Amino acid sequence: MAQVVFSSWGRNIVDNRAGGAGAEAQFRLPVTYDGERPMAAFMGWDGIIVFNKDVDVPVMAAEYMRRVQTLYCCGKCTPGKKGTRVLMDTLAAIIAGNATEADLGTIEDLTDLLKNCKCTLCQSSTVPVLDAVKFFRDDFLAYINGAKTPASGFNYIDKYTAPCQDKCPAHIDIPAYIEGIKEYQFGHSLSAIRENMPLPSVCGRVCPHPCETACRRKNVDEPISIMVLKRSASDYEWQHKIEPPMQPKPRKNKTVAVVGAGPAGLAAAYYLALEGYPVTIYEALPAGFGGGMVAVGIPPYRQPRHLLQRDIDIISSMGVEIIYNTRVGKDITLAELKAKYNAVFLAPGAHRSKPMGVEGEDKGYKGFLKGGIDFLRDAYMGSPTGMGKKVVVVGGGNTAIDCVRVALREGADESYLVYRRSRKEMPADVWEVDGADEEGVTFEFQVLPTKIIADGNGQVTGVECVRMALGEPDASGRRRPEPVAGSEFVIECDTVIPAIGQDPDLGFIPPDLGIDITKWNTIVTKYIPYKDAAGKDLKDGMGNFQSRTLITDCNGVFAGGDAEIGPLTVVACIGSGHRAAKVVQRWLEEGKAYLTDDEYMEDILNYMGVYDKNESVSWLDSVARAHQAEVHGKERASYKNYCEVELGFTNSQAVREAERCLRCYRLAMVAV
Amino acid sequence: MVNLTIDGKNITVAKGTTILDAAATVGIKIPTLCWLQKVSPTGACRVCAVEVEGVERTMTACNTPVKEGINVTTQSERLTKIRRKVMELMLVNHPLDCPVCDAGGECDLQNACYGLDVAKQEYSAVLEKRQIRYDWPLIESDPNRCILCEKCVKVDHEIVGCDAIAVVNRGEATVIDTVDGKPLNCEFCGNCVAACPTGTLISKPFKFRGRPWTFKITKSVCAFCGTGCQIEYHSRNGRVERVTSDDGTFNNGNLCINGRFGYSYLNSPERITVPLVKEGSVQIEADWNRAMAYAGDKLQDIVKTSGADAVAGIGSPRVTTEENFLFQKLMRVAVGTNNIDSEARLGYAGAQSVIREKLGFTGASAAIDKIDAAAAVLVIGTDLNAEATGAEYRVIKAATKNDAKLVLANMRDVKLKKFANSHLKYRPGGELALINGLMKAILDAGLEDKEFVQGKVGNLDALKAALSGSSLADLAAAAGVAEGYLREAATLIGGKKSVAILFGSDLMRSNHAAEKVAALADLALLTGCLGKESGGLFPVDAKNNTQGLLDVGVTPDHLPGYQASAAKGKDLWQIVEGIEQGAIKALYLLGSDLTTFPNNGRIKKALAKLELLIVQDIFNSEAAQLAHVVFPAAAAAEKSGSFTTTDNRVQCLGKAVDGAGDSREDWDILAELYNRLTLAGHVYSPAELLREFKELSPLYGGERTIVDGRCVGTGKQAALKTGLAFTPLTSPVAGAADQFRLLVGAIGYHNGTMSTRSANNLSVSPEGYIEIFAADAAKLGVADGAAIKVSSAAGSITGKARVSEKVQPGLLFAPVHFRDLNANSLLEGNANLVGVKVEKA
Repeated sequence: MAQVVFSSWGRNIVDNRAGGAGAEAQFRLPVTYDGERPMAAFMGWDGIIVFNKDVDVPVMAAEYMRRVQTLYCCGKCTPGKKGTRVLMDTLAAIIAGNATEADLGTIEDLTDLLKNCKCTLCQSSTVPVLDAVKFFRDDFLAYINGAKTPASGFNYIDKYTAPCQDKCPAHIDIPAYIEGIKEYQFGHSLSAIRENMPLPSVCGRVCPHPCETACRRKNVDEPISIMVLKRSASDYEWQHKIEPPMQPKPRKNKTVAVVGAGPAGLAAAYYLALEGYPVTIYEALPAGFGGGMVAVGIPPYRQPRHLLQRDIDIISSMGVEIIYNTRVGKDITLAELKAKYNAVFLAPGAHRSKPMGVEGEDKGYKGFLKGGIDFLRDAYMGSPTGMGKKVVVVGGGNTAIDCVRVALREGADESYLVYRRSRKEMPADVWEVDGADEEGVTFEFQVLPTKIIADGNGQVTGVECVRMALGEPDASGRRRPEPVAGSEFVIECDTVIPAIGQDPDLGFIPPDLGIDITKWNTIVTKYIPYKDAAGKDLKDGMGNFQSRTLITDCNGVFAGGDAEIGPLTVVACIGSGHRAAKVVQRWLEEGKAYLTDDEYMEDILNYMGVYDKNESVSWLDSVARAHQAEVHGKERASYKNYCEVELGFTNSQAVREAERCLRCYRLAMVAV
Repeated sequence: MVNLTIDGKNITVAKGTTILDAAATVGIKIPTLCWLQKVSPTGACRVCAVEVEGVERTMTACNTPVKEGINVTTQSERLTKIRRKVMELMLVNHPLDCPVCDAGGECDLQNACYGLDVAKQEYSAVLEKRQIRYDWPLIESDPNRCILCEKCVKVDHEIVGCDAIAVVNRGEATVIDTVDGKPLNCEFCGNCVAACPTGTLISKPFKFRGRPWTFKITKSVCAFCGTGCQIEYHSRNGRVERVTSDDGTFNNGNLCINGRFGYSYLNSPERITVPLVKEGSVQIEADWNRAMAYAGDKLQDIVKTSGADAVAGIGSPRVTTEENFLFQKLMRVAVGTNNIDSEARLGYAGAQSVIREKLGFTGASAAIDKIDAAAAVLVIGTDLNAEATGAEYRVIKAATKNDAKLVLANMRDVKLKKFANSHLKYRPGGELALINGLMKAILDAGLEDKEFVQGKVGNLDALKAALSGSSLADLAAAAGVAEGYLREAATLIGGKKSVAILFGSDLMRSNHAAEKVAALADLALLTGCLGKESGGLFPVDAKNNTQGLLDVGVTPDHLPGYQASAAKGKDLWQIVEGIEQGAIKALYLLGSDLTTFPNNGRIKKALAKLELLIVQDIFNSEAAQLAHVVFPAAAAAEKSGSFTTTDNRVQCLGKAVDGAGDSREDWDILAELYNRLTLAGHVYSPAELLREFKELSPLYGGERTIVDGRCVGTGKQAALKTGLAFTPLTSPVAGAADQFRLLVGAIGYHNGTMSTRSANNLSVSPEGYIEIFAADAAKLGVADGAAIKVSSAAGSITGKARVSEKVQPGLLFAPVHFRDLNANSLLEGNANLVGVKVEKA
């Protein structure tokens, strides 16, 4: 295991420069930068980590400050703009042998003054520089005394990021779009969003916003309402009938087929179209029902259709052709696509409902519906859902919640949600659960369905359930819910909807193409062999390899979205589609599917985590988080009332909320 | 309310108040540099850093709202050190050209350094010179002097809505520049220059005209449009060298190109400086006595031989209310005729008659600051940027800062479009159908102001019945807009707490304008926009004193203060006809160049027939060249008196400089002539004239107050009459079916023809053009910039084509201002729209 030479990361000093046994330090960093070249040093907002003793820390610090000042400093506050310039020039003078020891004092003095900066980039950039001056003073003095000249050594690669941006699976430049709103520049804001997010109206409404869990403002009071601000930027455009400003590059020759008009497919198409590639999307559903899981899985009271359609229409207007009513594997084969197009991107999603494993579910009872997602799709498309008047939905995710709420809107007298764990353990978003509660859904928590009951005609009349309680801790220490003997009871109903999850339906992929499929029924793509210091593979939260090129084992075929990641979120699929677009482009232009420095850094930082929940953030908490207006009362869930429930911010409210943002940019730089 | 302590003083302020504002309430002044009250806080300079107990870092007072119970310190050793060091950093690489910097003496950076005792420089960095933008018109930018306070960018974006400049680049190289790096191409309002605390953005015409402290500063009111912005003339050696406006004024210091740069007309070589009289066929210079005698004698001769009604006079929205009052007195009393009118006849006068009859008030229903917080705004039939920029800034403020919904109804795409939630790009002539459509859609959706309508207006059923005659689809089709757009616009302006409706010349000068204005008044009643805390009905006018001119009776149909006249005189077009027929033999043009009016080919022919043409003007206009007597007059900066804005604010002029050459103030010329004609020896003055008018009419009955050295307010009220009623009109007037129609109107770079004698305005907008829809241009084979010929029954003009998507199929637009292009010559009567033939020239 590689020993750390020096680290000041997280304010913990580990100094093994003297050699010997040395102290150990653990970092969530891969030992290589790109799977091959060893990581020599890491410099950033929280200190310096030196893995290779040959790293010249003064030179690296000077280069770090040069990049902060010339490439990233926004120039919008005096200490930041001028202070980092003085720091940069001072460090350069030291390296050039044109400085005195007093200049080290200037660095310390400015570090203190830069605490008064407007945002975080410049002040956080003084942290590693001050550490360098403090702990590598002799090296600096050697330069000052002319005893040392810089030797060529390492390549430096930097990445400008922010905790929220890092946490966002699509890596939207969140501080930039919030700043746009703060400056009443809603157009600039939306442009910043679209750099990484082609469905802003969607992710301004239904995103689970993991960014907000990594918002540094949380360390002061509450996170910024990042998601709703995205909606504000997106709504501003259509509410002012502004033509989207995107201008695709001149049309290129090589073509791309995309399977599935869901978030991943649309995102890939959007970014490829911007680059000038003719893209054709094959979508199984009919025209007007594009959007994949967003369309079929998210009801219109959360995601108004005209806005989803507007986002899709914008993508079409950029030259993307969407062929509807065409299921790949049935109406056209994957082999045909591969032959017809230069590249194929598979983004079919995860639309197959999982079975519950309950007695009676396979009997074909009338009133036992196929699955939550199928129910939502039928309701949305206006097809008969087979729903009666008293509906029981089984599951605890967002789809289950959507089902109970849609059931009310489709005319159910009673709508039950049955979930085997407690309310706070539900994977569904809290606000969705609360929304269902407000609309009059009856919850049965810690209840497990055991049997579907039907009458002589095969009509469902109820579902037999048993109450659950937490059992003794198992080997992992986790207490699993166990049935309580004798607690069996029956919920009378005429409809049961299982909504316990979906997985991809990959039947369209013929075995002879060489595309591998995992045991979780997801598509295998190539990855960067990152290992940690202990030699273990770096994995993401879904158990996939941390950093993937998204090319399958079949040349020219790429995969992304739920079918590659496993069922996850809209925003994750959009991030996946965006990366796929970039890799596909490289593959089309250079014949290689690879990641760039920016993407290596993105994945490395994402693994490391940029947000620190324990950081003490000094700020006056005088403005509380804003909350968007909402339609209240049971009326909002009345029959066929699919009007939007959440109303967004007024523009002035959005500006006030944006003003809360601390603009937590920071720069990471590695030496390789 | 929030309670807090600042420097030991207990303070209670409203929630959301910043620490800076809270401190100011108890007289604690926290130093600032980048803070500008009228735009959003930037927090760039960090000079206003304060300490808050319990918060380790400093907080900037300008953008930190207060919190209950906090204890703030604004002065401490630590803060002084931080502020000084920040200033020292700000001065790193700041050029030392203060002795020749235009901002020297009025530089906030100098003042801040002085105030914070920043006398040394601890820091240094490698100097990089940034390119000075000498290649911009009117404005010069020296980024080396920039402290990046962003005031200019914020004023440009948040107030003007122009987005011409931005913060570009990174790090020390960060500067303010145009977004694309090309030379500045904007509205040239110069509000950025005014906001700049240093010598970074400076006025080119003012550069090196003198040190700021050597100028005499005269508070006055802008003499261009009817918004009446409060200004200061800076004069030296008898010349006005710049115009500024203080942020404390009614207009928050915001001006347009005309207000800020248009003053150069004062120094135009086309000014008339001596009286002229015609001898034979040539004009010769004369002294005042001779010119007066010539005019007086001739007038008396004509009255004696042909009667008083052989004389007519045209007043001017450019001269003061007092002067217009005296002018009508001259015509009515000294000459004895009601043949008096003005260019207000083209639209504003007629629109005002309708409003006055229907609603009871003249001018706007409220002052334009009631636009700021309106919940919805409808701007119809005007390019507000061109006709009343100051009102446009308020609409922008309402829409961007205060969440107003904005509906723009205009035949062309104008600047406000980007702020509008709905742009009803109606077909030329479609105004009545459009307004009726809006009313119908509002009623359909039940969004009329029920409380207002039920309480104050009698006959909603009559309106409903009339509107039921046509379907919304028919009305939409007649207006040339989509039915869905009408419904949407109805939801935007209907059912709102307060609504502001602004309208201008495209409505007032359309065919059947009276019906359309009446319908708009009905819409105002239906939306309840009158008499509330915010909103109102606001006519706009591109000339500075049209309202005052009408108030004092420069019109053939009423006496001063809208008192009934026993006999009606001839109006503008009847006067022209009278001259043609020989019934009118003498014409007095007061500050009004009839040769630039609509159908001026006809007018010029008529003027040539006159036995006596008296022209009193500041310029040697084409009319002046035809005149028998020319009286050189003083311009607005050279006289006293008052202007009345379209929203009924009466504001005094300040005399900054003496009149050009031998010119005299218009009231002084008129007074002498009056005395000569009547053999009276009355001594007049503006104050005396106002007193006389107030004796005749209660209209200006209120007291004048002096606010910050400016006289404002006469208590002119816009009272809503009782017994309001809708006057429904069922038949939308269908537009004529000419293949092409030309709209003639104002553009933002100019105001009337006055600014075409301003070198500053001409430097950014030197000549006229003819805007044509791209598809039409393609059909005709006309390229952008190529010459096209446009002909109507009244004449034909040739000009450069400007190919654009802003107009619509079949519609051309030409600016009214340029005498060379003379777009007005194609018009007939009052309408600003005329059927034309278009061909390649």
